[in-house]
Amino acid sequence: MAYELKVDGMAEVSELLSKMEKAAPAIAAEALYEGAGIMSAEIKSAAEAIKTGPGSDRNDARYPTPEEKAAVLSVGAGIARFDKNGTEINTSVGYRNAGYIDIKGKRKPIPQIVNAINSGTSFMHKQPFVKKASKSGGAKAMGVMKAFIEDAFEKMNK
Amino acid sequence: MCSQYEALVAALKALTQGEAPAAVITLPMAENEWDTRPQYESYGVVALDFEADALRGDNQKVDTAYEGSVDLFSHAKDGAGWVTLITETLEAYCDGCWSLNSHVFERGTGLFHWEWTFEVV
Repeated sequence: MAYELKVDGMAEVSELLSKMEKAAPAIAAEALYEGAGIMSAEIKSAAEAIKTGPGSDRNDARYPTPEEKAAVLSVGAGIARFDKNGTEINTSVGYRNAGYIDIKGKRKPIPQIVNAINSGTSFMHKQPFVKKASKSGGAKAMGVMKAFIEDAFEKMNK
Repeated sequence: MCSQYEALVAALKALTQGEAPAAVITLPMAENEWDTRPQYESYGVVALDFEADALRGDNQKVDTAYEGSVDLFSHAKDGAGWVTLITETLEAYCDGCWSLNSHVFERGTGLFHWEWTFEVV
């Protein structure tokens, strides 16, 4: 007695896997861009809640001035260039290359203002808005990226 | 307030240099912030900054994790020995849940600033 086993559709599966392998890096990059966008929006939303004050000399702890807050809000958190390393794609969201702003005739680097607000200084109260946003936005960004990837592969499968 | 944080604050506030009682120097440590920059060679700040995570169950919040920070300001480049004592205290009260987030020099005031972050429940 002989049993005959037959599997249909292997050619289609092979073709689909080949298509997925080719399309995966582009889909991953697009998903990462979507996720980075969510993080940037979360940071901007957290920056809107920064408490401001009139400012003072360096012996009193103070809050950032409205001009400093406006500078942070005007540039927003940027998305860094995508770094491809083998099958990995990385980026970062933040104020690293945010540039400078002129406040009352003084040229101030925006990353330094952000760092002073986020980590505090001996003369500025700490308001860790970037860290807070990265905690709250991380899960949201991951969810959006996962849904984007699933949707892209589903469309490819049709 | 979480008990793990209270124990850490108590330990940080009790930070001393030297073993003999006569040689004991306490690190001035404020909870939350100093309103006016204190005129000490070195001083610290400890605070709970925000809710970092929560465990939910039965349609309610069962437990909450908070992110906090310890800041050391010192005119001494090496932190006058407080860097080691703070990291030892964090290790003892918050094993493995802390990291050194930043270490910068404030040009305007001449102070070195260390910032450690930790998560407690």
